[in-house]
Amino acid sequence: MIVLERVSKTYHPDSVGLDDVSLRIEAGELVSIVGQSGAGKTTLAKLLMAEEQPSAGRIEIGGWDITNIRPREIPELRRQIGVIFQDYKLLPKKTVFENVAFALEVAGAKSQHIYDVVPQVLKIVGLEDRAHRFPRQLSGGEQQRVVIARSLVHRPKVLLADEPTGNLDTLNTQDIMDLLVKINAFGTTVVLVTHNREVVNALRRRVITLKDGKVASDVAHGKYTLTV
Amino acid sequence: MITAWRIFAASWKHFARNLWIGLATVFVFTVALLSVNVLIGTNVMLERVVAFFEEKIDVTVTFESGTPEALLTQARFYVQSFPQTASVQLVSPQEALDAFKERNKNNPKILEALSELSTNPLGAQLVIKAKETEDYPFLLAAVRNPQFQPFIRSSSYDDHRTAITSIEDAAKSVRLFGSGLVAVFSLFGLLAAFNAIRVAIYTQREEIAIMRLVGASSAYIRGPFVLEGVWLATLACLFTAAAVWAAIYFGEPRLQQFFSGSDTGISDFYVQNWLTLFFSQFAVMAGLSALVSWIAVGRYIRR
Ligand SMILES: Nc1ncnc2c1ncn2[C@@H]1O[C@H](COP(=O)(O)OP(=O)(O)OP(=O)(O)O)[C@@H](O)[C@H]1O
Ligand SMILES: [Mg+2]
Repeated sequence: MIVLERVSKTYHPDSVGLDDVSLRIEAGELVSIVGQSGAGKTTLAKLLMAEEQPSAGRIEIGGWDITNIRPREIPELRRQIGVIFQDYKLLPKKTVFENVAFALEVAGAKSQHIYDVVPQVLKIVGLEDRAHRFPRQLSGGEQQRVVIARSLVHRPKVLLADEPTGNLDTLNTQDIMDLLVKINAFGTTVVLVTHNREVVNALRRRVITLKDGKVASDVAHGKYTLTV
Repeated sequence: MITAWRIFAASWKHFARNLWIGLATVFVFTVALLSVNVLIGTNVMLERVVAFFEEKIDVTVTFESGTPEALLTQARFYVQSFPQTASVQLVSPQEALDAFKERNKNNPKILEALSELSTNPLGAQLVIKAKETEDYPFLLAAVRNPQFQPFIRSSSYDDHRTAITSIEDAAKSVRLFGSGLVAVFSLFGLLAAFNAIRVAIYTQREEIAIMRLVGASSAYIRGPFVLEGVWLATLACLFTAAAVWAAIYFGEPRLQQFFSGSDTGISDFYVQNWLTLFFSQFAVMAGLSALVSWIAVGRYIRR
């Protein structure tokens, strides 16, 4: 599903994001990426969504070699991978419904399809009654659920979550994690970057630990550790 | 098709939901357009003043009395044949005498002296108007050719010479200065307007990044901004047109006092040229703000 072959990302000569990283993530996996601040977790996420280009190596997603992806092909890639960030990244001047619909509109979806799918995904995240509110009228947890709803409209093969619960309390964190697990159960590959020890330990799934831009450990049923 | 419609609808929704920043931009556009239009109006009035004086200029060639009628007619046709000539009027000796008597009707001495003469002492006159003030010397030289020279008693050109040259100079500098000022104001107006667009788009750089994040093509992101730029320009042009109309409607009667009651030429000018003026301003404003929006949005579409 996701293949990194000897990938490096050097921002400046003295600022290395990733250093010679190779890994495979199979379809349907739920992988946690952990590591200290500056270890290269966000860099990895940005490379997967083609926001950054690797300095060396090869990246493949779902059989698509995106190493040298052309800028005009990037929108197509973004429609195939859902992305979730710590800051919710909703369009403030659009309602919940419009925010979710936007992801379909950009792909030229038919209006009928939009009116079918958007309420469905809002229901999955439990926000069907918030459809006509604006993001500022929602709590942080609700906003993050809108983001998840938006990332689901294309039935993405990969869901990329960079600290999705970073700004949330324990209860909201639990909600979001339940959602991610549920989405994974329907077959979507989930790559979860997190600092949250409890979350990682509760999952009991594969854990990749990064350190100084390198893979320090990769355990199939791992726990949250920073020292290897 | 559905995409075109969505971009169109999004541009309006975006304008409505960001009303203040949109109106602020329209305001800057309008001020820029207005300052250019005020200058154009002032220029028109100055031109009118210059034209008014230019019109007063003519050259009168007075012939000896007793010059044969045929030669006068010939001289008239001769002058008329030049492309530089606007009009030539032949004043017969009798008409000249009548005009002279009329001018001096309150001066009995002159009239008395005149009545003692048995014949009309005045000669025929050619009153020549040139299309351009610069052409008077040429026309005078032309009429003073050997064929007519012996019959010419005097020409009034020399009296007018200084007036003609100073009006000519004034007109030249008014035109040069005026168009220079319009150019400078247009430039500054455009810069201010486009900076307003850039600022408006800068405030939305986050949104642009988010749109990109969820898979919007760059054209789909730019579309609404570009169209909104066109709407803003349209609004500004309409506001400017309304303001110019109101200024002429209410202001012109007042201005006419300075023209001692005669026409200021502004309403004539706008009636004749409003279509060109409106659409050229609209085309420049809309075209360039679309272009500036396109470029400004592009700066925030990284990858
Ligand atoms: N745009 C950039 N320009 C230069 N250096 C960068 C840039 N982004 C990241 N880096 C550097 O790359 C390294 C990895 O950064 P990255 O953001 O991937 O860390 P992270 O693991 O996500 O950290 P955190 O847990 O704090 O989010 C850091 O040393 C960082 O300073
Ligand atoms: Mg990070």
